[in-house]
Amino acid sequence: MSEAGIIEKLREGNEKAFSDLVNTYQKMVVNTCYGILHNIEDAEDVAQDVFIEVFRSASGFRGDSKISTWIYRIAVNRSLNFLRNHKRRRGFQSFDDIVETPKTVTGEADTESGGDPQSDMENSQRSVLIHAAIDALPKNQRIAFTLNKYEDLSYKEISEIMELSLSSVESLIHRAKKNLQKKLYNCYKKKCI
Amino acid sequence: MKCKAIHKKLIFFLENDLPENEMEEIKLHLAGCHECADFAEYMRKTLKVLNQERKPDVNPFFYTRVKARLENQTIKEIATPLWARILQPAVFTLLLLAGVYAGIKIGQPANNIQETYYAEQEIFPYLYEMAAEPIETFLME
Repeated sequence: MSEAGIIEKLREGNEKAFSDLVNTYQKMVVNTCYGILHNIEDAEDVAQDVFIEVFRSASGFRGDSKISTWIYRIAVNRSLNFLRNHKRRRGFQSFDDIVETPKTVTGEADTESGGDPQSDMENSQRSVLIHAAIDALPKNQRIAFTLNKYEDLSYKEISEIMELSLSSVESLIHRAKKNLQKKLYNCYKKKCI
Repeated sequence: MKCKAIHKKLIFFLENDLPENEMEEIKLHLAGCHECADFAEYMRKTLKVLNQERKPDVNPFFYTRVKARLENQTIKEIATPLWARILQPAVFTLLLLAGVYAGIKIGQPANNIQETYYAEQEIFPYLYEMAAEPIETFLME
């Protein structure tokens, strides 16, 4: 079925079309939300809201972009809103906190991996560290980097989602990587892992 | 290439995002510099974490949950008629404005004490005889 056909069916409230849409884009949406939220339960929660918004606003979709681009936009905006609304409630650990208190990165070992507990703990600490470093990036750098890293999207696709020029996206990702490197180097020097 | 320059390009090196000659140059440097090699390993392990956690498993009950949430929201909307959803905020806004207006009105007399007129001011001359009949007049009599 063409994209226009899917949207037409959604406008009519066709349940089968909605089910197909959810099955097609579920992984993509959850993964995008997870890249921004770093928590699978929160990511699934926000992803559900994303699909509800898609279903409700199908009548407003003009078809200027691909369905996936439109869904990505909703997923990114919803995730950022979720972060803004829940930042204070959650035990937010900033990157500076982690760097200033060496060896106290609080990660739980992945007991399901069946691997070496020492290595699991280290990976878990690295995960907390890299998430905090990504979260400390400016908003646009964070979105561009996350879409590129977690979804393997090309710069062109990211530029369509973020409604920016290709060169802006290139520059955003370049600066994001440089900033991440700087932050990780600070952490390395202070031996925070 | 100096260590500082290597540190600046390491993330791009690890992602194969540099021209061929620079890649070779950094490889050579890392082979001979223990500190840079150590930092490169640290960066590689940290960035690898991101690749490992991509693509979380699909929840088989995801669609069921989306549908349940959608239905819950629809039921709530049906339970609250449209006029109530419009009228409710309008009434609350009016009440709030009325409250603010009443507060302003109540607070106003306190600002104009000079204009306040007390009953005792009217009665006072009759009670205070000295004002009505000064002491000089009283003594002369």
